Order: sequence, then C-alpha cells, then structure tokens
Amino acid sequence: MSSVLNINNLTLSFKTLMQRVDVLHGIDLRIEAGEKVALVGESGSGKSVTARIILGLLQETRSAVVHGSVLFDGKDINTLTRKERAALRGTAMSMIFQDPSSSLNPVFTIGHQFTEVLKRREAKISQADCKKRCLKALIEVAIPEPARVLSSYPFQLSGGMNQRVMIAMALANQPSLLLADEPGTALDVSVQAQTLKLMHKMVTNHNTAVLFISHNLGVVREFADRVYVIYRGNIVEDGPTAALFANPTHPYTRALMAAVPRITGTGLPQVPEFSDEFLAPRVSHGVNP
Amino acid sequence: MASVIGLLFRRLLISFIVLIGVSMLIFAIARVIPGDPARIALGPNAKAEQIEQLRAEMHLDESLPVQYAQFLSDLSRGDLGTSLYTNRPVTTDIVQFLPATLELVFLAGLIMVLVGLPLGILAARYQGRWPDHLVRILALLTVSAPGFVWAVILMLLFAFYLPLFPIAGRIADIHEVQRITGFLIIDTLLAGNVAAFGSAIHHIILPAVALSLSGIGQAARLTRANMVETYKKPYIEMAHAYGFFPNRIARSYAFKPSLIPSLTIIGLDFAAMLGNAFLVEAVFAWPGLSRYGVAVILRKDLNAIMGTVLIIALTFLIVNIIVDLLIAFLNPRIRYSTREAS
Repeated sequence: MSSVLNINNLTLSFKTLMQRVDVLHGIDLRIEAGEKVALVGESGSGKSVTARIILGLLQETRSAVVHGSVLFDGKDINTLTRKERAALRGTAMSMIFQDPSSSLNPVFTIGHQFTEVLKRREAKISQADCKKRCLKALIEVAIPEPARVLSSYPFQLSGGMNQRVMIAMALANQPSLLLADEPGTALDVSVQAQTLKLMHKMVTNHNTAVLFISHNLGVVREFADRVYVIYRGNIVEDGPTAALFANPTHPYTRALMAAVPRITGTGLPQVPEFSDEFLAPRVSHGVNP
Repeated sequence: MASVIGLLFRRLLISFIVLIGVSMLIFAIARVIPGDPARIALGPNAKAEQIEQLRAEMHLDESLPVQYAQFLSDLSRGDLGTSLYTNRPVTTDIVQFLPATLELVFLAGLIMVLVGLPLGILAARYQGRWPDHLVRILALLTVSAPGFVWAVILMLLFAFYLPLFPIAGRIADIHEVQRITGFLIIDTLLAGNVAAFGSAIHHIILPAVALSLSGIGQAARLTRANMVETYKKPYIEMAHAYGFFPNRIARSYAFKPSLIPSLTIIGLDFAAMLGNAFLVEAVFAWPGLSRYGVAVILRKDLNAIMGTVLIIALTFLIVNIIVDLLIAFLNPRIRYSTREAS
C-alpha cells in the first residue's frame, strides 16, 4: 500500500488523578499520497487531538494514553522514540493552524522563522541559498514584495499575508502530509476563501496529502476529495465528497448538514446536543480507494 | 535608530523633571524634621552666637524657596556644599564612597540576571516536573528574607564556621592599589596586580551574593511565570509542530517574548538593590555610600543628605532608562511604533 497515513483502531484517553476520560474510541482513517481528506465534526469531537497524535505531540504528554496504530509512510508513530517523532515533524509532515497571526512568533522576523523551518530539512543550508528559497516560496504563494515581507514582523502584516506565509512555510520542506487544523478560521470569510483556494492549488501542485480538519461543511465540500465525519470520538460516516454530500446517511451527518444556515432565512437550525440516533453504526460510501 | 534616539531624549527629559521633584521633596523634608543642624554640628557646648553665625553661613535663616534657589545655583556649578560630618565638599565624599557601592550593586545585578533568568527558563521548560519544583522552592526561600538577613547567614556559614571568604572589607590590607576609577576590580586590573585583583574578587563575592539572592528568586519566579504564559501561545505549539528541539524552544522561542515583560521588573529590582546595599554594606563593613549615608542622616548633615539622595535617584533613573532602551531594542512592536509616532 502507498498510503501516506493509515490509522487503525486509534484510541485516546486522558487520565487525571481521579478519573479517565475517553476521547477517541477506535478511529480508522486512511490518506493516500496526494489525497485531500477532510475530518469534519463539532467542537470537542476529537478532530484536533487526532492531528496532534499524528504529529506525535500528544504522545509526549504524560496524561494522554494513546493506543492503536498510526502508520505514517509505513512507520508507526506510536512506537517511534521521541527523537524519531521530532525528526518527522517539520520535514515529512507539517501543520497549519487556525490563527496565522498568533502562530508566528511575534519577536522574530518572517525571514528568521522561515530560515529556521528550512534548516529543519537542511541544517547546513547557506545564507544565500536560504534567502533564495524563501523568496521563491513567497512568490509561489503570490506575496507581493517578498523581500520586504521577509524582513517584517508578523504584526506588520495582515492576517491574509501571514496565512500565505504559513502555507509557504508548511510546504517549503516538501512534506508528504500536511495537517490543516481549521486553517484561517480566525480570518474574515473572503480572505479565508482566497487562502484556501491558494492552499488547494499549492498542495495539488506539490502533490501533498492533506488532512483538513474543519467544522465548516461548505469549505470541506470545496476542498476535500474524501470526507470523514467524526462524532464524540467515533467516525460515523465516510466516503468520497460528492457521494457523501449527495446522500448523507448517518443521522449525525444529516443533522450537521441541516445545521448549515440557509440564505432563505428560516432562522437558525438546531442540532440536538445529543440524540440516540447519533449512535447509529458507521456508514461508508462506495469503495475506499 | 532615529526612534531609539527619540525615545532616549523623551526619557532624559522626564528623568530631569523627576530629579527636580525629588530634590525639592528631600530639600523640604530634610529641613522640616526636628533638630537644628547647626546645633548638632557644633555640639552641646557651643555658644548661641556661634550657632547663629553657622546658621547664617548655611543660609538657614532664610526662607525655604530662597534656600532652594541658592541650592540650585550651587548645584549648577557642580557644588553640593560642604559636609558638616567630614568637613569636605560633598562631591568629594560621594566620589570616594559611591564606586564601592556601585561595584557591589553591579556585581549583584549581574549575578541576579545570570543565575535568575536561566533558573526561570529551566523551571518553565520542565514545568510541573522536579526541576520546576526545586527552582520554585529555592526562589520562594530566597525572596522570603531580605538581603541583610542573607548577609548575616552567609557570613556565619562561609566566613565564620567555614572560613572560605573574608569576613569584612573590600581588599586585604597588604595591597596598595592606586585609585583610578574607584572600582577596585577595575583598578587592580589596570595596575596589572593579579594578587590584589584576586583579593578584591574574594572580598566582594559574599556581599554580592547576599545582595543578589532575593533578586535571583524574584527574577526566576517572574521569568518562569511569563514563560508559562508564553508556552500556551499558538506559536509555541507551532514550534513543536515543526519539530524544533524543546531546549531550543525554551531558550529562544519562549524566552525572548517572555523577557520583555520581565525586564521592567528586573530593572526595578536592580535599582532597589541600591537601597538594600545599605544594609548589606553595614553587615560586611563595606566602605561604600551606606555608612556615609547613615552617618549624615543621623547628624542631619543637610548638604550631604541632599547629595546622597540625589545620586541614588540619578542612578535609579539611569538604570530605568537603560531598561527602557533594552525593551525597545528587544520588542519590535515598540521599536516600530515609536518610529511611526515620531
């Protein structure tokens, strides 16, 4: 198999002094090379922790108990050593966060931070090479005056600009997997749409696989090839985007889709906090590729 | 660069106004507290005419505003008047005693920064684990007692029971060092006298450590607290997500943004050492400004009190200006906003 990512029966729980809280109850998820996969669910459904497990960050927290296998390029992230996991981050996989402006360090210039990222792949890269590659990467994400941006601090740039920088940084080391955790949710809608379009173009050009984490069905429909719907730590429905949107079968997916506000003005639809229906078994559309 | 010069200029202007205010306040307070300086200076057996004559010489028979104006015009000529206690010009006294105090305070400040900040980084890096607990206990311990208490404890432990360090003084008597700057550490080096330099270092360690201890605790606690906040920021998670080494994240990505809010307080702590130094100097018989300051206050030596307070206020202000400039240098937001403003 040429899967970039293959998650099998992944469980996660947090143990505190008094109790154990189960967060993920056996997740299966697969991403092929160059495939754009979305993970959709409400807040607290376990989307973001899944991304942090793939990055190998959560395994380093003492309160987290992770079981199951997370095969990345054939290697199980869960059984790698701390050092081996760190070696994958920023090189073979990278991540884009919600708010670009607060995800960049406020006291270093963009150029400094970009250089640090490039050095993850090539520790001994020369100053001149670095500069050249930074400029090229910034031009690729359609940043005007890239030289000025490199010597700027994040607070001097707009949110949309910072998001473009984040995208350029995330793809600079040619990762095989990009994790995008609700990218650009902090931006206004039109800028978010612009940067998502750009990201879509970039990952298609670079043939980078993406795990796109979102609660926004409209965005997911535009972006992803395949969708997983997650509810309370369980995958409840999955399938190719077109098939899933044409025929949402699981009650939770249907409720989620009904919850998208309509422009016709029928008021805000409601998703019940909890419903027995939502515990219905998993639905898979079509054949998994 | 222009913005930093503008900032410096504004701070200097404000400092000048503060100095004027301090001088007025101390001028008034020193004259309002009971006791006639002329009578104290001349002793109980002096005749009434003699006292009257001295009062006239010191302009004490005139109104406060006139006296203050007289003081200012003398000050503008660099004349702080004569000390009744040493019978020498106050400026001469200050030039003689200040370097010893500054030497002590600078070294203590250096120890505070060089030990306190790394301890804070260490605690934040291993937050909730044993290095963190250890640093927090030590910090609490050191800030719980003022410098002079530590001075007595250190002196007992390391100069008396375990005689590793000399018990008092600035340098062993056998060394003759020509006075150039007044800073013994520098003067002995300039003279190329290694033995004397060693002796000066040997003498200054205990008082400097005693003076710096509570500052170390304060700096460590502050750095830790600010860094723990910084660790919650998305850019730290991003640094982890890009696989940077945890030690590097602590030293660079988390420390630098946290240093800016810590720095103001550390600067104030540093300046406050000048006050604490008075008591530490008393314990170690350190021939600095403190013995002079205490003596002149008790004798109501007006000119000397004014001179001592002014020089301390001036040092305080200079330290604050340096801290402000450092912050402007470290924080791009300030650096650039001042540029836009000017």
